[in-house]
Amino acid sequence: MTYQIARTLTRVLSGTVLLIIYLVQVTSKYQEGGLAMDQLQSLGQLMLVFIGIGIGVTIAVEIVFHILYSIGIAVKESVKADVCNDKDKEREIEKNIEKNIKQEFVEDEMAKLIDLKSSRVGYVTSGIGFLCSLIVLALGYPVFIVLNILFVSFFIAGMMESFARIFYYKRGI
Amino acid sequence: MALQFEITNDIRKLRFFADEMTQQQLAEKAGVSRQTIVAVEGGKYNPSLELAFRIAHAFNVPIDEVFHYTVTEKKNRKDKKGDRT
Repeated sequence: MTYQIARTLTRVLSGTVLLIIYLVQVTSKYQEGGLAMDQLQSLGQLMLVFIGIGIGVTIAVEIVFHILYSIGIAVKESVKADVCNDKDKEREIEKNIEKNIKQEFVEDEMAKLIDLKSSRVGYVTSGIGFLCSLIVLALGYPVFIVLNILFVSFFIAGMMESFARIFYYKRGI
Repeated sequence: MALQFEITNDIRKLRFFADEMTQQQLAEKAGVSRQTIVAVEGGKYNPSLELAFRIAHAFNVPIDEVFHYTVTEKKNRKDKKGDRT
């Protein structure tokens, strides 16, 4: 698995976990009576908290992923080169590891193009979510549901963007 | 009949003649990721003019020795039907 695909998959995974936690929180709070259909203040607070958590989790997952991926590359390189006591060889292996890590994390033109194309998929998905929420509003459903549809559609848009990215990396542009 | 354009490349052959240069080595020379080289070599991604020149430069050959532009005639459905009758 390449760096880009592994990174995207971790993003999808963390996004899915966050979405599930959010949905569980909303439904449990609603059933407990903590969230009322007409009182949007508590829902707004919950959404803000989850946006904050989402940003924090994304940053933390990115950092942990990069550390683990770098360790993975280093381990692979050291297994490839036989373990020896020669200091010059050790330095050479270290240089190779550094070079490989840098090489893996390169953001080139293809990555940028895939980013652009997949973000378009994300925008379209969030647009559809917005449209759905407007339709729900027009049908006379409470704003509580409309806001939730909007919030969930942003999460789903992020995931669709990630899936599109994986698709483009696998199939090519 | 519609015209079909295709960009092919001889990167695999050139790597072989360049002392079996690895995709990683070529990626380093061209300043891109290995994944991009894999995609270009497999015809899954058409590189920009700049990257195409950089790849050619890595092999020390002119660009037209690496990439080839071919135009073929693609038969559309109507033509195919006409052929059958």
